[in-house]
Amino acid sequence: MVETVPTATNSPNVQLHQVGKPLIRTDAPNKAYGNTLYAGDLTMPGMLYAKVFRADRPSALIVKVDTARARALEGVRCVLTAWDLPDRLVVTDIPGQTGGKTKNTAQPILAKERVRFFNEPIALIAADSEEIAASARDLIEVEYAPFPGVFDRAEALTAGAPLVDGDANVVAAYKIRKGDTERGFEEADLVIENSFRTQVQEQAFLEPEAGLAWMDDKNVLNIKVSTQVVEHFRAIADALGIPHNRVHIEAMYVGGGFGGKEGLTIEMMLALLAYNTRKPVRLILTREESFVNHGNRHPFTLHYRSGVKKDGRITAMEVRLIADSGAYSKLSPYVLLYATVGAPGPYKVDNLKVDSVVAATNNLSTCAFRGFGTMQACVAYEGQMDEIAKSLGLTPLEVRQKNFIHTGDRNATGQKIESAVWSEQCAIQALEALGERAKGNDVVKIGRGLACYQQSYGRIRWFKDSSEAWVGIEVDGTVIVRCAVTDIGAGQSSSLAQIAAEVLGVPMEKVVTYFGDCTLNPLAGTSSASRALYMTGNATKMAATKVRDNLLEWAGRHFQVPPDDLQLVEFRVTAISDPARSMPIDELARRCAADGVHRHHLAMFKAPTSEGLDPETGQGEVFPDFTYGAHACEVAVDTETGEVTVLKSVGAHDVGQSLNPQSVAGQIEGSALMGQGFALCEEIIQRNGVLVTPSFSEYLIPTSEDVPETKAIILESRSGLGPFGSKGMGEPAFAPVAASIANAVADAIGVRIFELPITSEKVINALARKASGQVKMH
Amino acid sequence: MLPRFELYQPTTLPEALGMLSETGGNVRPFAGGTNLIPDLRGGREQARKFVSLAGLDDLRFTRFANGRVEIGSLTTVSDLHRSHEVLRNAPALHASATAFAGHMVRCTATIAGNICYGSPSADLLPPLLSLDANVTLASAAGLRILPLSRFNLGYKQTALKPGEMMTQISWPQPARGTVQLFYKLGLRKGDAISVISAAVSLTLKQMVCTHARIALGSVAATVVRAERAEALLLGRELTEKLIGEAAELAADASAPIDDLRASKEYRLHTARVLVRRLLRQAAEGPGEAGSTRRSTEG
Ligand SMILES: Cc1cc2nc3c(=O)[nH]c(=O)nc-3n(C[C@H](O)[C@H](O)[C@H](O)COP(=O)(O)OP(=O)(O)OC[C@H]3O[C@@H](n4cnc5c(N)ncnc54)[C@H](O)[C@@H]3O)c2cc1C
Repeated sequence: MVETVPTATNSPNVQLHQVGKPLIRTDAPNKAYGNTLYAGDLTMPGMLYAKVFRADRPSALIVKVDTARARALEGVRCVLTAWDLPDRLVVTDIPGQTGGKTKNTAQPILAKERVRFFNEPIALIAADSEEIAASARDLIEVEYAPFPGVFDRAEALTAGAPLVDGDANVVAAYKIRKGDTERGFEEADLVIENSFRTQVQEQAFLEPEAGLAWMDDKNVLNIKVSTQVVEHFRAIADALGIPHNRVHIEAMYVGGGFGGKEGLTIEMMLALLAYNTRKPVRLILTREESFVNHGNRHPFTLHYRSGVKKDGRITAMEVRLIADSGAYSKLSPYVLLYATVGAPGPYKVDNLKVDSVVAATNNLSTCAFRGFGTMQACVAYEGQMDEIAKSLGLTPLEVRQKNFIHTGDRNATGQKIESAVWSEQCAIQALEALGERAKGNDVVKIGRGLACYQQSYGRIRWFKDSSEAWVGIEVDGTVIVRCAVTDIGAGQSSSLAQIAAEVLGVPMEKVVTYFGDCTLNPLAGTSSASRALYMTGNATKMAATKVRDNLLEWAGRHFQVPPDDLQLVEFRVTAISDPARSMPIDELARRCAADGVHRHHLAMFKAPTSEGLDPETGQGEVFPDFTYGAHACEVAVDTETGEVTVLKSVGAHDVGQSLNPQSVAGQIEGSALMGQGFALCEEIIQRNGVLVTPSFSEYLIPTSEDVPETKAIILESRSGLGPFGSKGMGEPAFAPVAASIANAVADAIGVRIFELPITSEKVINALARKASGQVKMH
Repeated sequence: MLPRFELYQPTTLPEALGMLSETGGNVRPFAGGTNLIPDLRGGREQARKFVSLAGLDDLRFTRFANGRVEIGSLTTVSDLHRSHEVLRNAPALHASATAFAGHMVRCTATIAGNICYGSPSADLLPPLLSLDANVTLASAAGLRILPLSRFNLGYKQTALKPGEMMTQISWPQPARGTVQLFYKLGLRKGDAISVISAAVSLTLKQMVCTHARIALGSVAATVVRAERAEALLLGRELTEKLIGEAAELAADASAPIDDLRASKEYRLHTARVLVRRLLRQAAEGPGEAGSTRRSTEG
C-alpha cells in the first residue's frame, strides 16, 4: 500500500508529467514473464566450467598445494594457484573510483603462504564439465601448518593477540571531538549508559554470484557478470598486466546486490581462467559458496553514554564503537567512518565524543551492506532514545522532538545540513499509520516502536564522485540513454528512461536505456551508497536537457517564438502562447537532423567534494547530503515462549521527489522485511572462525509467511540533490527498521534486549532477568 | 552439487517392491525428495540408487471409515492441509501440516517421508504418535504392521529393513470429544525447523481424563511420548494444579540438547510451557479444531 503526500516544494512551478507517476518499469514485464537473461543463464560454444577450491580452516600456514592429480584428470583444462599468478595481484579498495588504491587493502586473489579466513580461495579450476571441475577440486591436496587465529574483535585489539596481517590488527580508527562533553555531562540531569551488539548479516540476494568470460578476436577480455560495479575492469586489467581498454565488463540485470556485489565478485576468477585457457569460462556460485565469497555486514559493539536534561534535551554524548572487518579490510575503513559520523543519529548533539575502531580478525570478511555502518549505529542511538524517554517519563516521540536536527544545523562533523529535515513529520505519520493498537492479554504483550535516522546518499566527498550519461534522440522520436550504471533490481535503468522521457516529452516506452557496459557506455560509477539515481539521474537529466535545448532552439526559430515558450509533452512540441504552432516530436527530430542540429549529448555530473576530515576533531564535510525519515511498527510478544510477531510495519520517508512511487514503495517494503530479519532471526554464526550457518537451512531470512501488514508513506520535500530534488532511498528505507522492532519489543515486555537478533530465547532470558530484579531500573 | 544417482521409476507397488529387494537393499525409496535432495547436494546422503514412488498413485489417499483412519504413504503434507476430513477428524495432524515448511515444500513432501527420515523435528510425528498410529511396512516378502512408537528407534534410525517401504499409516478414530492439539515453535513463521513441538490428545468426561497422550518433538533423539505425564492425568480431574504437574513431568521426559536453534534450558522451559498451554486449552473444551500458531490458509 502506498500513500504519497505531495507537500511544499522548493520549485512549486514544476509540472511533472511522467516523473512521480507509478509507470510500469521498463524491466518489469520481461522479468515477470521469465524472459530476462541473468548472468548465470549465459552459455557459449566450447565453454568451460569453473570451480573454486577453498581452505577448510580459518587460520593456517600453507606448506604445499598439490594440484598434480587435479591437473591430470581428463577434461581439466586449467588449474591455477597463487604460484601461477604474478605478484601484483591485489584489488582496489574503492570500487568504481578512478584508480584509488591504498596498500593496506591489498588482498591476494588466491591464498599463498597463509590462510586468513575460513574458505579463503586457494585454487581455480576450469574443466569441460561442471562435474569434472568438481571432481578435480576433490583431488587438490593442501598441506597446512597450524597458525594461531583471532576471532574476537576486542581480543584482536589487545597486545599479544595473533596478527592477522602486518604489524597491528587495527584496520582503521576515527575520533570526533565536538564541543565539551565534560561540561555537557555536568549539565545533565541524568546520564544513561548502555552497550549494544549487532551481528553479522548476509545479503541473501536472490541471485548468487555468476558470470561468463571469454577472449574475443580483438584480444579483448569480455566478462558478463552479476555485479554492482563495472569499473572493476581496471583492477582486473592491472592484475593480468594488460591495458585497461582490453577488459570489457558488462553487468547483466542483477538479481540483487545490497552491497554484496560491490567488491569484486567472481570477475577476477573468471578473467584469470579465460585469459589462461583462451576459452569461454562460466562460473556460478552455489548458495554456500556465495555466503563465503562476499563480505557480509560488520558486527559492531556500540557503547553509548548520553547526558540529558529533565526535559529530554541531550547535553552530551560519548560513543565507543568496535567493528570486525574479518581477515581483509575491504571497505571496512569506510563502513566505520559512516558509523562514526552517523553515531548521534538525526539529532543535534553539540557536545559529542566518538571513538571508533575496526579490528582485523580471522573471521569471514565484512564489507558493504545496505546501511553501511550507519544502520548499526541506529540500533544503538534509537535504543538510547527510548531508554531516555522511559527514564524521564516522556513518549518516544517527545524525546526525539526535543533533539531532532534541523535544516541549517551542523551535524556530528560540523557539516551544515542544507536540505529539508522532515524527521518529525515522518515520525508522526508513521506512528499514526499504525492505527488502532492490537489487543494483548496476560501472555501476549503488544508493543510499539519508533526509529528515526540520518542516512547519507552519495559517496564520501573526497572520493570526488562523478557520473556520465549520454542521451540521444532518433529521427523517429525514440530516445536512447547510454549510461554504464548497473541495474541491481531497484529499477535503475528504468528510472533513467523515466527522466529522459520527462525532459524530452516522449512516452517512457519510447526510451531504451543501455546500461551496465563499461566500454560502450559512459562510465557512471557504482550502484552503491544510495548514489545511483542521485548521480546517474542528474547526469541523464543534464544530457537530456541539452538535447531538449537544441531541439527547442530549432523549434523556436521554426515557429518564431522564444524557446522558453515551447513545451515538450505527449510527444509534441507546442507553443504555449499559440497551441496551433505544434508538431510531433518525430517530425521535430527528423527536421533537426536534416538541419544538422546536434541530437545527442554526453554530460557529466560531479558531486560536491571536500578534502577530508581533521584527524584530531573529526570535523569536516563527509557526505553530499542526507535522507531522513522514520519507521514504526507494532509487535506481539508471547511472554511464555518468547516468540515475537511483527504485526504492522510502516516506513515514512522524505524521498525528496519520488521518480516512481512504486519503486520507492518497493524499497520501503523490502527494507521492512530485511530489517525484520536483522532484528529477529538472521545471524551468521562462526565458531572459532568456522562458519556454522553455511546455508539457508541454518541462516534464517524471513519468509513470505513472516510478512507483516506493511505500509509505505512517501513524503516529498523536493529538497534533495538528486534529479527533481530527489534524495537517495536504497539504504535509508532500511536504516531504521531493526531499531524500531527492537524498540517495540522493549516496549512490549518492559525490558530491552541489547544484542541482536532478538530470538525467542533471548526474550525469555530477558524476562527472567527482569523477574529476578537483575535489570537496572532508572 | 547434486551427485549423479540412479532413479528407478516403477508404476505399481509390486514392481517397486521388486526393485527395492532385487539389489540386496542398496536401493532406497524416493518420495517427495525434500529431505533427500538437500542431503544429496550437501553430501549427507551416500545412497546412489533410488526407487521413485512418484508413480504409485494408489498410495496417495486419506480414508475415514469404520472407526479407522488410513492415510496412504504418498499423501503429501498439502493433501493433509487441504483435507476437511483431516481437519475434522485429526485436527492436531492438520495443525502440524499447516505449520509445516512453506507452500512449495508442503506440495511435495509426503507423510511417509516425514516419518521415515527419522528426525526428531519431524512435524507430523507428535500428532501421529499422540493418535497411537500404526505404520504398514511392505516388502517383496509381505506386509507387517508396527506401532509408530516402535518405528523410530533413534536419531535417523528406523525399524525399516532393507527392501521395505512404508505403504500406509492408520489409527483408530479417537473417542468422541477427544481434543487434539498441536503447537510448533520455530525461529520464524515459514519454512522453520521446529525448535520444539508438542501434541496432545485428551479425552475428558466431565473434566476427568479418560485418555491422555502427550508427544514432544525436538527434545530428544526421537519424538517422545511423555508417558509419566499421561499416567498422571489418567482418571484425574484436569485442574490447574494437575496441569502444572503434568507439564513438569513432560519436561522431565525430554532430554534436549543445545544446538544452533536453541539451548537445552530454553527447550526444557518451553516443553513445560507448551504442554501446560495445550492441556489448559484442552480443559477449556474442543472449541476450535486443533491449534497452531499460524492460521490456516489456502
Ligand atoms: C525448505 C524445507 C522446509 C522443510 N520444513 C519442514 C518442516 O517444517 N517440518 C518438517 O517436519 N519437515 C520439514 N522439511 C523436511 C521434509 O520436507 C519432510 O521431512 C518431508 O516430509 C519429507 O518427505 P519427502 O516425501 O520429501 O521425503 P524424501 O526426501 O523423499 O525421503 C526422506 C526419507 O524417507 C525415506 N522414504 C520416503 N518415503 C518412504 C516410504 N514410503 N517408505 C520408506 N521410506 C521412505 C527416504 O528413503 C528418505 O530416507 C523441510 C524440508 C525443506 C527442504
